[in-house]
Amino acid sequence: MNRKDRERLLLRGIPGACGDFETTGISRRSLLSVGGLGMLGLTLPGLLRAEETAASASPPVKAKSVIFLFQFGGPSHIDTFDMKPGAPAEIRGPHKPIKSVVPGLPVSEHLPRMAKQMDRICLVRSMHHTMKNHNSAAYYALTGHAPPRDDQRLRDSLSLYPAYGSVVDKVAPLKSELPTFVSYPHVISDGSVTPGQRASFLGKAHDPFFIAEDPNSKNFKLPELSLPAGLSFERLQRRREMQKLIDSQSRLLEYSASAKGLDDYYKKALSMLSSTRVRDAFDISRETEAVRERYGRHTYGQGCLLARRLVEAGVRFVTVYFDATIGGRSTTSGGWDTHGFDNTRMFPIIEKRHLPITEQTLPTLLDDLDDRGLLDDTLVVWMGEFGRTPKINANKSRDHWPQCYSALLAGGGVKGGYVHGASDSTGAYPSRDPVRPDDLAATVFQLMGIDPATEVYDTQDRPLVIAEGEAVTELIA
Amino acid sequence: MRSQFLFLFIGVVWGWSQPGGVSLRGAEAGPVDFSSDVMSVLSKAGCNQGTCHGNRSGKGGFKLSLRGQDPAFDYLALTRGPRGRRIDRVIPEKSLILLKPAAEVPHEGGRRFRAGDVSFEILRNWIRSGAPGPDSNSAKLERLEVSPGKKLEILVDPAAELQVRVHAVFSDGARRDVSELAVYEPVGDTVEVSSRGLIRRSSFGESTVLVRYLGRQQPVRVAFVPAGKGYEWRGPLEKNFIDQAIFGKLRRLRLNSSVICDDTVFLRRATLDLAGRLPTSDEARSFIEAERPGKRERKIDELLATAGFADFWALKWGDLLRNEEKVLDRKGVQVFQRWIRESIASGKPLDSFARELLTARGSTYRNPPANYLRANRDVLQRAENTAQVFLGVRLACAKCHNHPFERWTQDDYYGWAALFSRVRYKVFENKRRDGLDKNAFVGEQVVWVAREGELKDPRDGKRVAPLLLGAATGGPGEEDDPLEFLADWVTSRENPFFSRSLVNRIWFNLMGRGLVDPVDDFRATNPPSHPELLERLARELEEGGFKLRKVIRLIMNSNAYQLSSVPVDSNGKVEAGFARVLPRRLDAEQLVDGLAQVIGVSPSFNGYPRGIRAVQIPGTNAILPRYKKPSSADVFLKLFGKPDRMLTCECERMSQTHLAQAFHLVSGPMLHDMISSGDNRLGVLADSGLGEVELISELYWSALGRPPSEIETASARRLFSSAGGVRAALEDLVWALVNSKEFLLRR
Repeated sequence: MNRKDRERLLLRGIPGACGDFETTGISRRSLLSVGGLGMLGLTLPGLLRAEETAASASPPVKAKSVIFLFQFGGPSHIDTFDMKPGAPAEIRGPHKPIKSVVPGLPVSEHLPRMAKQMDRICLVRSMHHTMKNHNSAAYYALTGHAPPRDDQRLRDSLSLYPAYGSVVDKVAPLKSELPTFVSYPHVISDGSVTPGQRASFLGKAHDPFFIAEDPNSKNFKLPELSLPAGLSFERLQRRREMQKLIDSQSRLLEYSASAKGLDDYYKKALSMLSSTRVRDAFDISRETEAVRERYGRHTYGQGCLLARRLVEAGVRFVTVYFDATIGGRSTTSGGWDTHGFDNTRMFPIIEKRHLPITEQTLPTLLDDLDDRGLLDDTLVVWMGEFGRTPKINANKSRDHWPQCYSALLAGGGVKGGYVHGASDSTGAYPSRDPVRPDDLAATVFQLMGIDPATEVYDTQDRPLVIAEGEAVTELIA
Repeated sequence: MRSQFLFLFIGVVWGWSQPGGVSLRGAEAGPVDFSSDVMSVLSKAGCNQGTCHGNRSGKGGFKLSLRGQDPAFDYLALTRGPRGRRIDRVIPEKSLILLKPAAEVPHEGGRRFRAGDVSFEILRNWIRSGAPGPDSNSAKLERLEVSPGKKLEILVDPAAELQVRVHAVFSDGARRDVSELAVYEPVGDTVEVSSRGLIRRSSFGESTVLVRYLGRQQPVRVAFVPAGKGYEWRGPLEKNFIDQAIFGKLRRLRLNSSVICDDTVFLRRATLDLAGRLPTSDEARSFIEAERPGKRERKIDELLATAGFADFWALKWGDLLRNEEKVLDRKGVQVFQRWIRESIASGKPLDSFARELLTARGSTYRNPPANYLRANRDVLQRAENTAQVFLGVRLACAKCHNHPFERWTQDDYYGWAALFSRVRYKVFENKRRDGLDKNAFVGEQVVWVAREGELKDPRDGKRVAPLLLGAATGGPGEEDDPLEFLADWVTSRENPFFSRSLVNRIWFNLMGRGLVDPVDDFRATNPPSHPELLERLARELEEGGFKLRKVIRLIMNSNAYQLSSVPVDSNGKVEAGFARVLPRRLDAEQLVDGLAQVIGVSPSFNGYPRGIRAVQIPGTNAILPRYKKPSSADVFLKLFGKPDRMLTCECERMSQTHLAQAFHLVSGPMLHDMISSGDNRLGVLADSGLGEVELISELYWSALGRPPSEIETASARRLFSSAGGVRAALEDLVWALVNSKEFLLRR
């Protein structure tokens, strides 16, 4: 076999879970032009040293916390942050761009407050992948790993990868009574539960501290942190005392690691039940009415406010789901999946629901984080699972488009007022610096001070890296 | 040429500042062979590990084949890398593949060897001699000779070191000492190994060191034991060959086993292991009172004959055989579970059980074992899962690259998979509720085997000849039914895995840890802790007609099974060796059923009538959560590790403990509702007119199978005086009992 054949074979890879195992991707090194070295005034060893620093084992912590605002359903990039005013009408849509504070970075006319804050935003306009179904694409977005197949009802299983926050909980957990990873207020699903929301093969111990309650509800409280009716804390203490006595009789705590481990969790649960720090972090009612109004009195708005509270208390990874469903057919509920089905129409819907909510919450959150000095070390990520078709469909709406879409980052060590990558004239494909979810994942981990090449072990004890992409260093301030 | 020139130029700018002459210690003067010499260095220095350049995406832009499985690829990577910077034929010492690992220039992987080391010299001599590529005529490695051999090497203090010697025998007859080039990887942290194969003790205990050279591997097993002055065996008698093996090894390790457990512990353990439930208070009382000689043996027989035994062991097989509703549908799950349960109840030989599963075809409703093939819908899935379930072999690694710790190659993988390529499904109808869900099937199906249908090797697109696992030739003939051919081999005595893997699973279920552990990871580099015992049990299984109950009886009647969990001497520090029983959390189903039994209330499970026990639930989700909110008991089961049955792996049943479980027991809805339910057993007891002491005693017998101690009675009585009435006191006491470690753990 000659070399060409061999390389072609190696590059083709094998479909499946570890399909690209043998694929030799384009490496950073092969992109370096040796011819340009002299011009840069760099000698080879100097250059190599620079590279090594960039890939050092534990990168500096730039983002102590992450707030991941997941826009389920898939927001249209062309109608938000990647407007195409020069494109034909069936592509550019009815909305007009307006100038933002960043020259050359227009946004939708429905996002005037965002326009004033774009100097805080690090915008990636060249996100892309090939998953056309919500569950496969959302799994990709939530884990940074390509799903084994593009499947509308991709089944969750321990062979799939864990959520970002679960990885953080595994490799860089908080050492306090606070949970490392909190997610709420929905389990997202499209027909079947979307994989990628939990710890998968890392084990349930690394599942998010998940809140199913509506933070906008008057009675918002965590079942875990509240005792059922008829059980006072004093009574619980009495029970615990009796439990301890029985434990002392069996001596199990003296010699069994399993017994000790269990008891440690009882201790932790009881300390969380009585800890004011934990309680306060989740107690959104301690916010003033004015603040609560500013975020918007709806589930998502209050969820963003709760995220700020949690990050303030020290939680490392907060995932807020925009909605439980892909939605797109209603002005009062549902996600961003605006196909125009059932005689609905995309533009009136996003004008009334999605854009106003975004306009209300995102700038408010960034302001609030900044006012409290939290923005510098809190990374905010705003993205969906894909973008929407450049060409408006027969229902005057847009369909799924993973080939090119945008992701917003802010704070936590990323550049502000910066655009990375670009889409072509119709927003159909990246025209430069394409970024895969794998690369974004590597970037997020790196910003958190976690080496993206860190390995975790799956159920078969196979070592797997937490992010297979390359961190997009251009995004890092 | 241009790049070499440029490189020289840069070299001049940089200015050489490297040490001059290097000694040729250890390096052979003869020509350097790429496939053996250079490849062994890449492994020895760790360059091609999965964490380094052997990673699927390489490291720092430099990728090698994982653990050197592909010399031709590595040759290209070394010589044709970007601009040829990696090797410098003009000044070999300036080659990156020397400078980097010698840490003469920064290297993320640190210093791997020094100038002058054997590895350095081999690479340098190779470059100096023109960096020749792999030569198909060069001698192939035929085998490794490792000393010490396969037997466990036991070293008594003060002995704290063991030198490993490795010789490589090549096809041309050459035998070379490669101790300095072999790779040594300790499993666990009780030993350290130098790069030259000197094993040093870091703590007492048993461990395995993997010795690897050019794709061949062999384990070295070593145990460092304390001198234990005045050591004498004080463990129980040896009742059968199991005790001989377990206690014999403990004696060689100068350890003592714990004593035999008491009747309370034995009854609870045996009832949980065989029937998946707790003994009732009556059973506990009468067992303790019963005449001693032979009562444990009688109890084992009694439990083996109960319906609970079939329920519980069918649950375990249901996990492995992926009995779940989405693919098999509710009816399929029910008929399949009934068939599994019946097979166990009737004592069907395990080889027949396996054969029926592997070969069954026809309607999945009328011929229940056909659901095994219905559940595994993809050819690779069928191949991997069959190897894992019936042979205890994990093949998945070999799908994408040769298995890093085992002899399985991609050729083995696809050859084995080809046996399964002709399985087809006739889907008569699919009444799935969600038409978009391609994974869901509702309705009868017929599993059949087509006359045609070959597997294409994804690497080259060529047809793969079906082969038995590990066989080089001799697949099924034209007229053979591939599944019958497969089942003949799987269940035959020529198959080195089948009976061993079965007895290992049984052992795992009873002893908490496989003789080979993980239980489905048989490979030369993961040797059994008691090889002779594994062999003997396998033989017993075969000669006893593949009867499950026979093997269970053998194990449970051994003193090794009946040991206490309380440590004696220093055996508390040793996890392995079966010197004592390691307490472990009850399974999810055992917990829910146990709580229901003690508190006297039946929890509800979605899709089932009240009264069904958790161990009897045939599938995983009778009604999907999206159509009906799971009950608190359904949530509890998942939280405590009931598997979704998506994998054919014991590991899917997660036995860990975690915070959310503690919350569910402390403040969660299921236990709280059970305890405060108006019509539970606590209400009956409160109204029974029994006195405090009797009430306390009854709850202790129900929950823990023993009477309360004096101090427990006294403390429990204080609950009666402090809480609001008898009912509240019973509630508090039962909460404390079911949250005690004694209740939550099987010990």
